[in-house]
Amino acid sequence: MTGDPLFIDGVDLVDIGIMAAKVLVAFTFLLVATMFMVWFERKLISDMQNRIGPNVAGPWGLLQTFADGVKFFFKEDLRPENADPLVFRLAPYIAAVTAFLSFAVVPIGGSFGSGSSGTVTIFGRETYLQVADPPIGILLLLAMSSIAVYGVMLAGWASGSKYPLIGSVRASAQAISYEAALGMATVVVVILAGTLSTHGIVAAQAGGITRWFVLSSGVVPFIVFLIAATAELNRPPFDLVEAEQELVGGFHTEYSSIRFALFFLAEFMNVITMSAIMVTLFFGGPAGPILFGMTWFWPTVWFLLKVLAFLFVFVWFRATLPRLRYDQLMHLGWKLLIPLILFWLMFISLKELRAANDWNWIATYGAAFIALAIGTALLLAGLRAGDRAFQDELEEA
Amino acid sequence: MEQYLPVLTLGVLGVLFVLLSIVASRLLAPERATVAKRSAYECGVTEQVAIPERFPVKFYLVAMLFIMFDIEIVFLYPWAVANDELGLFGLVAMTIFAGIFFLSFVYELAKGGLNWGPGRQLITPATSPERTTTSTIRKVGLEGRIEIETAADDSEAA
Amino acid sequence: MVAQNIFFGILSAIVIVSALRMVTTRNIVHAALYLVAVLAGLGALYVLLTAEFVATTQVLVYIGAVMVLFLFGIMLTKAPLGNEMEMTGKQWPLAALVAALLGGVTIYSLLNGFGSDRLVTDGPVYRTADVSDEVFSTYIIPFEAVSVLLLAALIGAIVLARKD
Repeated sequence: MTGDPLFIDGVDLVDIGIMAAKVLVAFTFLLVATMFMVWFERKLISDMQNRIGPNVAGPWGLLQTFADGVKFFFKEDLRPENADPLVFRLAPYIAAVTAFLSFAVVPIGGSFGSGSSGTVTIFGRETYLQVADPPIGILLLLAMSSIAVYGVMLAGWASGSKYPLIGSVRASAQAISYEAALGMATVVVVILAGTLSTHGIVAAQAGGITRWFVLSSGVVPFIVFLIAATAELNRPPFDLVEAEQELVGGFHTEYSSIRFALFFLAEFMNVITMSAIMVTLFFGGPAGPILFGMTWFWPTVWFLLKVLAFLFVFVWFRATLPRLRYDQLMHLGWKLLIPLILFWLMFISLKELRAANDWNWIATYGAAFIALAIGTALLLAGLRAGDRAFQDELEEA
Repeated sequence: MEQYLPVLTLGVLGVLFVLLSIVASRLLAPERATVAKRSAYECGVTEQVAIPERFPVKFYLVAMLFIMFDIEIVFLYPWAVANDELGLFGLVAMTIFAGIFFLSFVYELAKGGLNWGPGRQLITPATSPERTTTSTIRKVGLEGRIEIETAADDSEAA
Repeated sequence: MVAQNIFFGILSAIVIVSALRMVTTRNIVHAALYLVAVLAGLGALYVLLTAEFVATTQVLVYIGAVMVLFLFGIMLTKAPLGNEMEMTGKQWPLAALVAALLGGVTIYSLLNGFGSDRLVTDGPVYRTADVSDEVFSTYIIPFEAVSVLLLAALIGAIVLARKD
């Protein structure tokens, strides 16, 4: 039975209080982490570019984001006159609320394995250190990221301006292209864990680094997930949505003041959530050695450190990689990642079944190899035919 | 169902946060809109060309293909959860299912539905023998200069 | 149970109002967005019925994919921003009649089929694995047929999108 043990025996006032406390902590954590993330990115990227970066507001410029945030409140909120007023106002809500909700399923602590099932006891009630643990678990993240497409799409359309419109059409096509790869990479994890619940996925990885899904799934799903997540977040090198050289600011060009700040907040919040999800799916979540005392304290520390490592990776990508061209982006997503991960998830399923049923080694992997050969041949034939069709089309024009 | 209570609470909190921020900004920020401020942003140029009303049909094909893959993913999840119980039968059934999807994917590939970039043969090289300074640089005010030069030549000859 | 009824009331109101607004609004993108609201409301109702996987499917497929295709379709052809247009056809009384009849038949068959049956509150909770047990046993043929159906749909889309 999955689900937070907090609600197993009915809901009373203490349960509601604990739940409200957890929600508030998650909410505050997200806001503070976002503030810190913006500072972290600016400081780190300026280091990589041999600059100093923000250093005036607070010690080491730590309060820079706070100062920027306060400033946004005092700025004039403009709306182009040919914008659609209703949809223009709606878009920031969709962007921000989906960003908050995606974080709900991330387990941020609790010690797993060797008898303990990741619960902590608060006021005599057992509970998980995550906002919610619905049975559909990780699907909530996918559902939220498919709703988040609307924030971008509607913001661009409702602005009544060229750059946002082009940016939003690009963004939504990009988001849906990589969502398929993201979903399939997650399927591999679900095959290995046998559950959709994020708590269950973390529990299945308990017991040492070798059990982390990044290794037991053969690294490929993680790489696909990382690339797809970067594209889904519109982070460099996939930031065609707001390619400033051609589209000014992309879908939020016409947004100013606090509405712009909300888009900005949602974007960075999504980076944090996506890093946390990657830690949960592939790196054992809060798993790590418990050094001394306080069993509830160390897992959270390990979790935060792992998330920080991913935040660093995202900034590193931005400082290192040049932006892809739109056709390269589409080709990478559809022609490489999706066929690759499709084959891989079938292969992992076969591998798991072989291990469980003790099938003949040669027969099993021979079948996988034949399937791979047929698939690759079909794919290559399709690619060549597609190239030819496209050339003909261009020569006619 | 109680499991969704925290999700709902977080959602309500998120909406309140956005709402309060916007209300606060409305109270604090000035409101001095002018025609220039309220026109669409065009990098400082007055709007001259209308907003494009049509987009390449490729976007539609991508969305169509995405629906297919989304439906495939929706079926993949229950299969993945029960992979051990379903065993070989499930794997074969899923392989047939995914195989047919893969075929339609290859079909769209073969029809050129996923080609976005410039064709390989049609990319013109950045430099060619025909491109010289005489063909690319338009000389502005050349007429006046020629006249002066010829006039100078005339005076020299005289 | 009381909380469930309250949420059912709120969600139904949202769904009904959005559905009405969808057919009465004069802006085609707004109509699409009201349809999204209807679909989202139905998804939330599935959660109330403890059919969580169906609810996710609703969000992923209908809101995340089908409606995005709708909006692309609108943007591909024409999404007149701001200028509202008459979208009610001449045959609306006839259409309203057909809709009323259809609604009547649905309500009648529901009442006839289930009558005063109550939802079992402490009955079995349906897990996602139960869905797959059903799909891979009773409904295996329709399941495979879905892929062929979608292949046909994709070929149709490619033929429509061709230049010649």
